[in-house]
Amino acid sequence: MALRTTGCRRSRVPMLPRRTALMGLAVAGLWPDLSRPALASTPVSFGLNPLFLDSDIKLLSMLQEYLARQLGRPVVLVKRRTYQEITAMLLTGQLDAAWICDDPYVQHQSQLALLAVPLYHREPLYQTYVIVNEASKAQVFDDIRGTVHAFSDPDSTSGYLVTRYLLARRNTTPAGFFRDFFFTYGHRNVVRAVASDLAESGSIDGYVWDVMSQREPELITKTRVIYRSEELGFPPIVGLQATRDVSLAEAISRAFLDMPSNPLGRDILAILQLDGFTQSGPELYQGTLDKWLVVKAQV
Amino acid sequence: MRLAPLRSWPLAWKVPLLVAVLMVGIAALISQVVLTRLRSDQETNLRLLTSAYLDGVSAAVLPTALRGDTWEAFDALDRARSRYSGVDVRYAIVVLPSGKVLAASDPVRFPVQSLVPADVMRQFPPDDGLRIDSETARAWLARSLREEGFSVGRIVAEIDIADLLRVRREVLLTLLLVNGGLTLAFAAIGYLALKRMLRPLGVLTSYVERIREGRAEPIPEQNRKSLATEFGQIFDRFNAMARAVSEREKLTTHLAEQKKHAMLGKLASGMAHEVNNPLGGLFNALDTLRRHGTDSDIRESTLNLLQRGLNHIRNVVRSTLVIYRPEAPSYLKATDIDDLRVLVEPEAARKSVRLDWINEVHEPLPVAAGSIRQATLNLLINACAAASQRGLVQLRAQAQGEALVIDVCDDGPGLPRPMADFILTASDETLPSWDGLGLWIIRRLVSEENGSVELASAKGLSTVIRVTWPFRRQGEPEQGADIRNFEEALHAG
Repeated sequence: MALRTTGCRRSRVPMLPRRTALMGLAVAGLWPDLSRPALASTPVSFGLNPLFLDSDIKLLSMLQEYLARQLGRPVVLVKRRTYQEITAMLLTGQLDAAWICDDPYVQHQSQLALLAVPLYHREPLYQTYVIVNEASKAQVFDDIRGTVHAFSDPDSTSGYLVTRYLLARRNTTPAGFFRDFFFTYGHRNVVRAVASDLAESGSIDGYVWDVMSQREPELITKTRVIYRSEELGFPPIVGLQATRDVSLAEAISRAFLDMPSNPLGRDILAILQLDGFTQSGPELYQGTLDKWLVVKAQV
Repeated sequence: MRLAPLRSWPLAWKVPLLVAVLMVGIAALISQVVLTRLRSDQETNLRLLTSAYLDGVSAAVLPTALRGDTWEAFDALDRARSRYSGVDVRYAIVVLPSGKVLAASDPVRFPVQSLVPADVMRQFPPDDGLRIDSETARAWLARSLREEGFSVGRIVAEIDIADLLRVRREVLLTLLLVNGGLTLAFAAIGYLALKRMLRPLGVLTSYVERIREGRAEPIPEQNRKSLATEFGQIFDRFNAMARAVSEREKLTTHLAEQKKHAMLGKLASGMAHEVNNPLGGLFNALDTLRRHGTDSDIRESTLNLLQRGLNHIRNVVRSTLVIYRPEAPSYLKATDIDDLRVLVEPEAARKSVRLDWINEVHEPLPVAAGSIRQATLNLLINACAAASQRGLVQLRAQAQGEALVIDVCDDGPGLPRPMADFILTASDETLPSWDGLGLWIIRRLVSEENGSVELASAKGLSTVIRVTWPFRRQGEPEQGADIRNFEEALHAG
C-alpha cells in the first residue's frame, strides 16, 4: 500500500530511473497491477453544461468534494462556454462523464450511456418556457413574432430546440419569425436579456426559471411566461457507451443515485432544488428526439 | 436716507471698507484661479477615466462586434457599468458600421438592430474623443473599434458629470464662505484696530474744544499711555500750545488786575482831590460860623457855601458809585454822560485842559449804559492824557437813528498807528503789545455790544474817535458778563 501511494504521488514527477524500472517490470509482466493504482490516482473529469451554474462557486466546490469522496478519487469539474464544447470533449474521450442537455443526448444517443437522471418534483421531467418582458403585451407564443429573441444555446432543448420546433411547425425559422435573435449561452443570461429589454422574448429552461424565481425574484419578476411546453426528459448525466472503465461509470451513477442519503449530497440537492436522481432508459427522451428530428428535417 | 459722500466718511469706516474691497478683489481672483485649475484637473481626470473605461470596454466588445454577438456586447457593457464606478455612464451603445445598434446598455431607448437617432449621434465627437457640456452636466465619448485597419463598429457613451459640477459648486461655495468670512473678519478687525488707533484724536479734539471754551488745559499723562509716535508728537505740540495759551491768559488777567488797580488809584486820587478841594473852603466856613454865626446873613451865606461844598462831595461820591454799579434793565440817561464829566474833570484840571461837553441825549436810550460809561471814561482819560497842556478835549453824545454815537476828540499829537490799527481791526483775543489795557477794554466792550469804532479828524482836533452803540432790540439779553463781573469785582474792591 505504501508503495502504491508512493507510486501514485511520484507518477506526476519525472523520475527517470524509477519510472524506467517500473515500466520494465510492467512489460515483463512482473507488476500486473501497476495500472490500477495509477488509474485510481488519475482525476475523474466531469463536464458540466452551463445550466444555471454560471457563478455558483460554492455549489461547484460542494459537488466536486462530494464526487471525490464518493469515487475515492480526485475530481476535476470541466466547464465550457457552449454545450457543443462539452459534448465534443465527452465524445472524444476527454471527459469521463458529463451533465449535458437532452438535446445533445438525443443527437448522440448511440454513443452515450445514461448514468443518472435528476428528479424534479419527483419526476425526471422539466418544461421549456418562452418568456417576455413583464411590460410586454404578448400573451401567447404567436404574439412574439417580429420581436428580438434571446436563445440560450444552439444545442439546448429548452433554450433553442423547442422554440425552433414550434417555428418549424409554423414552417418558419428564427430568421423569418423574429426581427432579430441572438444566443446568450446561459439560461440566466436569457432572463437578464429579457428583463433588461435587450431582447423582447426568450427561450429558457422552465426548471431554471422556477429556481431563479426563488433565488433572484427581483430579476424574474421583470419577466413573464407566455408559453410552457409539454414535459420532456430532464437533462441527464451521461458517459460514453464504449467506456474503458465500466466500474467508474457505475461508480459515478451510484454517486448521483446515493446523493439523498448523504448529508453533503442532500445539501447539493437542496441548492439545486432537486429531489434526487434516478435511472432511466432512452425512451424518456422520445419527445426531445421527435422535436429534433422535425427540426433536422427542416434544415 | 441719503448717505454722506464717501470722502466725508470717517477713517474708521473708510479703511475697513477699503480692506474689504481689496479682499473681495483678491478673493475673486483666487477663486477664479482655483476654479479654473479645478475645472482643468477635473477634465483631465475625466479624460483619463473615460479613456480607461473605453480601453476596457472596447477590449471586451471588439470580438463581439466582429462576431455580431449582441448578448456578449450587452454583457460587456452591463458589467463595465458596475466596474467603472468613477464614470457614471447614462448609456453606452455598440454601433455597427451600418449605424445600427448591436447592443446598448439601455435597450429600451436603443433597441437591438435599430438605427441610432441622428440627433443622438450628433452629440458625440466625430472622431475618437470626449465632448463636455457643463450646462447639461453631460459628456459624450466615442471610440472606434478597429481590427486589422478595418472599422467593425464604434462604442459611444453618454456620461453624467453632475458629480463633477457638484464638486465645483461645493468648492465655489466653500471659497465664498471662507473668503466672505475672512473679508468680514478683516473689515471688523480693521474697524476695531483703527478705532483704537484713532482714539487719541478724540482726546485731542475734546481738549481743542476746551480751548475754544476758554480752558487751555494740557492733556494729562494718563491719556498718553501707549501712544503711537505720531500722536505722541502731536500731543507734545498741543500741550506746549495749551501751556502757552494758559500763560498768556494768566498774563492777561494779571494785566487786567494792574489796570484795575491803576484805575482804582486814579479814581481814588481824583475823588480825593475833588473831596479835598472844597474841604479848605468848608473848614473856613466852619470858622466863619463859629466866629460870626450870630449874624444871620453871614450864617445863611456860610451854610449855603457848606451845602454847595457837601453837595459837590456827594456828587463826586455818587458818580463813582453809579458808574460801577451793575444796572438792569439798562437804559442810558443824560446824567450817565454828565457824571463822566465829574469823574474826568480832576484829570483835565491837572493839565488845565478845557472840557467841551456836548450832551445831546435827552431821553433814556436802550443801550448798555454801564459798558458805554466804562468805554467812554477810558476814551476821555486817554484823550486828557493825549491832549496838549491847556488844550482841548471834546465829548459829543447824540442819538443817530437806531444808535447812540459818542465822539471823543482831543488836540493831542494823534493816535499812534499801532494803537489805531488795534482799536479798528484787532480781534477780541488779540492783546496789545504795549503796557496798558484801555484800548483792549474799549475794543472788547464795543465788540460785545456789536458796536463799531471809527477814526476821523475835525478842525483844530487831531484825534476823533467815534464809537457807535446800536440800540438793543426788545428782549435782547445784556452781554458782557465778564465785564460786569469785572465791574462788580472793581466795585467790591
